[in-house]
Amino acid sequence: MLLAVLIANSEGNILVERFNGVPGEERLHWRSFLVKLGADNLKGVKNEELLVACHKYVFTPCFPLTLTTLFSPCVIKYAKLLIIFLYCFNLVSEAMFVVTSAIKDVCGKPPTERLFLDKYGRICLCLDEIVWKGLLENTDKDRIKRLIRLKPPTEF
Amino acid sequence: MALYVKKDDDRDEEAEYSPFSGIEKGAVLQEARVFNDPQLDSRRCSQVITKLLYLLNQGDSFTKVEATEVFFSVTKLFQSRDIGLRRMVYLIIKELSPCADEVIIVTSSLMKDMNSKTDVYRANAIRVLCRITDGTLLTQIERYLKQAIVDKNPVVASAALVSGYHLLQTNPEIVKRWSNEVQEAVQSRAALVQFHALALLHQIRQNDRLAVSKLVTSLTKGTVRSPLAQCLLIRYTSQVIRESSMNSQAGDRPFYDYLEGCLRHKSEMVILEAARAITELSGVTSRELTPAITVLQLFLSSSKPVLRFAAVRTLNKVAMTHPMAVTSCNIDMESLISDQNRSIATLAITTLLKTGNESGVDRLMKQITNFMSDIADEFKIVVVDAIRSLCLKFPLKFRTLMNFLSNILREEGGFEYKKAIVDSIVTIIRDIPDAKESGLLHLCEFIEDCEFTYLSTQILHFLGIEGPKTSDPSKFIRYIYNRVILENATVRASAVSTLAKFGAMVDSLKPRIFVLLRRCLYDNDDEVRDRATLYLNTIGGDGSVVETDKDVKEFLFGSFDLPLVNLETSLKNYEPSEEPFDVSSVPREVKSQPFAEKKAAAKKPTGLGAPPAGPTSTVDAYEKLLVSIPEFSTFGQLFKSSAPVELTEAETEYSVNVVKHIFDKHVVFQYNCTNTIPEQLLENVTIVVDASEAEEFEEIATKALKSLPYDTPGQTFVAFEKPEGVPAVGKFSNVLRFIVKEVDPSSGEAEEDGVEDEYQLEEFEVVAADYMLKVGVSNFRNAWESLGPDFERVDEYGLGPRESLKEAVTAVINLLGMQPCEGTEVVAANSRSHTCLLSGVYIGNVKVLVRLSFGVDSGKEVAMKLAVRSEDEAVSDAIHELVAN
Repeated sequence: MLLAVLIANSEGNILVERFNGVPGEERLHWRSFLVKLGADNLKGVKNEELLVACHKYVFTPCFPLTLTTLFSPCVIKYAKLLIIFLYCFNLVSEAMFVVTSAIKDVCGKPPTERLFLDKYGRICLCLDEIVWKGLLENTDKDRIKRLIRLKPPTEF
Repeated sequence: MALYVKKDDDRDEEAEYSPFSGIEKGAVLQEARVFNDPQLDSRRCSQVITKLLYLLNQGDSFTKVEATEVFFSVTKLFQSRDIGLRRMVYLIIKELSPCADEVIIVTSSLMKDMNSKTDVYRANAIRVLCRITDGTLLTQIERYLKQAIVDKNPVVASAALVSGYHLLQTNPEIVKRWSNEVQEAVQSRAALVQFHALALLHQIRQNDRLAVSKLVTSLTKGTVRSPLAQCLLIRYTSQVIRESSMNSQAGDRPFYDYLEGCLRHKSEMVILEAARAITELSGVTSRELTPAITVLQLFLSSSKPVLRFAAVRTLNKVAMTHPMAVTSCNIDMESLISDQNRSIATLAITTLLKTGNESGVDRLMKQITNFMSDIADEFKIVVVDAIRSLCLKFPLKFRTLMNFLSNILREEGGFEYKKAIVDSIVTIIRDIPDAKESGLLHLCEFIEDCEFTYLSTQILHFLGIEGPKTSDPSKFIRYIYNRVILENATVRASAVSTLAKFGAMVDSLKPRIFVLLRRCLYDNDDEVRDRATLYLNTIGGDGSVVETDKDVKEFLFGSFDLPLVNLETSLKNYEPSEEPFDVSSVPREVKSQPFAEKKAAAKKPTGLGAPPAGPTSTVDAYEKLLVSIPEFSTFGQLFKSSAPVELTEAETEYSVNVVKHIFDKHVVFQYNCTNTIPEQLLENVTIVVDASEAEEFEEIATKALKSLPYDTPGQTFVAFEKPEGVPAVGKFSNVLRFIVKEVDPSSGEAEEDGVEDEYQLEEFEVVAADYMLKVGVSNFRNAWESLGPDFERVDEYGLGPRESLKEAVTAVINLLGMQPCEGTEVVAANSRSHTCLLSGVYIGNVKVLVRLSFGVDSGKEVAMKLAVRSEDEAVSDAIHELVAN
């Protein structure tokens, strides 16, 4: 399950968030923790370097969920833009790559906050095609590109 | 907008203009009126929907009226033929999630789209309908959904399957009827359809073990092509293996060949999932592990950080149980120490610390030294903890490891990190006597330049206890007195107390300590002056404060037998008057503590935070509690208190666990009860114990709990008499009996009349291990030699066929309840023989050491040689009897 996808700018303002199966009352904690985590990990990081599980896993904040064993946050940074995933191990690394490549595709080049906001509607559609309540729905980026324009996929 | 050009990603100073800057809900709602225009401007409408989406994502909430208005306007957009706009409409309807009475407005439009000739309309309409629909509408569209599941267009089929997956939570009966269609979809040629169908099919059958097993059996024969579905199948297979291994112990492991085959799959995701599944098999053998470890080893040198992380994390877990199996990866693991991703590097280090052998410790430490400088404190703490464990595993290497710890102690670092290092040094000093002198000196060096008052005072306290027992206590005085000169008042006061302890324990130092203490009489802090005065009077021996040398030592080193919380409360309640504060008026009863806190406290590593006799602190609290109860106050000294044994399942109405307190002639069961129902108050709570299967025990007293309100733990006790000094065993069944009263949730008041009720609890046993205290020895060989062969008893036993050697070793350790020494509880994965060293104290305070030698033959028959040495012949025999029975 993909538990959360957060896209935030470097000031920590969230541009898009998708939580799946995280109780409402926990979201606020996760949100601030994940955004801080993203920002904390950015020092000296190259663009598109995948910061997998670069979290401070000794001190888990006050969540009933145990970060270390069950979930691994993962951060990808683009200029002034963080894409943060909170996922159950393994299966969803696939989803991560799909989401980031779809966003890059829509923006046409490595995304910035500005490009992202310009293409906001289309990015929302992409997320809608990729993941629904945590379950991965589509993974092929060409197919996603066609589906958001209501064009049938080519491969069948 | 075109001006926005940015080459350098990190030049944050450039001003950015957001298309949504200054966006305001009211204005957007006004703009949404364009949806009602007779001539729809599709582009504008799409822009407005984007703004609405942005607002919703920013956490703006619409009032009921606003949401309804927007929703109704949006439904008008179905008139437009613009494809892009239609896609946005589907999305915004899902985001607005209209309430049931509004849904009807779009139902017909969506139903029309669902039967459209354009497949993508159909897929989207299904998703939207299923998102906003309720049970009644679902029955109307069920027929279409069933058709959609087996539709030849994968987009439609996937949409229906994923919808089914989510609908299963709200309308399970309806979705369960689609089983046949879903089963057909599992055979689909489209990868994603197969994945979604498999997920849904498993979800439908998840409560039927046999059905899941059948599903796995049929699919593992090779019809699944999608890598994602393959990953799911591996997970389900592991689940089936777990459940089947509970029933059958013998024979080959089912489905292992399938998992092993997946290790050769072309998708990395599948390989990793299979490798993880194999490493997590219960009782996995080294032969089974080998292929999984081999693929994980290849991933260690992958260019993708995700794979490196996943592999090293899995290997790290394997290293905890099968360190020998992972040693083949050590070379690859060492190259990961310099990995840019610090999580990977830390996991590599901690794995190496677990798998390394004694001869490699020095080399490893050199590598870690370089690594430590560029990681965050949080990672450093993990490494420090691993080093502490390593030191306890290889006590002969303490010099290298202690030097490493002292070096990092001198470097920059935050409080938690420094505390972890100090705690580790303290643990090593306590467990390895040879390390004491050098360890204490390292701590002394540290307090010379320590910015943390808490750590300084804790170290001074520890120094006061351990320092006087060293060969040359005088060398510590300089460090301690420097604190009196250089530090803040809190540390100065601690230093004065430490000096006094040296004075009391080491006669030769006494006169010189007096000189130093007298200088403290002129300190500008009250506390420091008061302490100095007190100690000068006590140790000085003018008889005004304490009478004898024994009293002095008791005063300085004795345990403080009042609960501090109670003392604090009493002092706060004391009003200054002619009458002095009377310490004897402080209640000694320990207030009950929630279990969660107790558990948390028990998990904390012992270090400075815990008193020197760390493990006995809970026993101390229990002892005080029991002494305070008149019925049990005559039972004498408490020998042992067991860990709590749960008598209820998790999340039941009443949570009860029992702690077994063992005395020489008695056993007291302390039942810790929690009432988890807010609407109930329990009164007169007792436990009715049936001891018919514990013949040597006779019930003599019961202490009821008067009242047990919601979520406030309370205790009730039952005491039994047993033959003196005899390790009697037996089984006890328990029933919780009480009067239950209804509580009004609004006022919190309970009704006057209650009803008597009972609640059946699980049974528990008093076993031989309850009469054995786990007490470790730092050097087993020395301890073994010093006990001598006089009361040694040796015999051999056949343990019959066992699942593994490890299982046999664990079973015997648990049976005896003794402390494994020198890490001998870990059994190498493929070994045919093993020696385990145990130590403990038997009831009657008799020291016992045990040397167990195990051997296993090809038929898994385990034989054991048991050698026992103790201070008492009868006890050596008793240990043999325990095993023989």
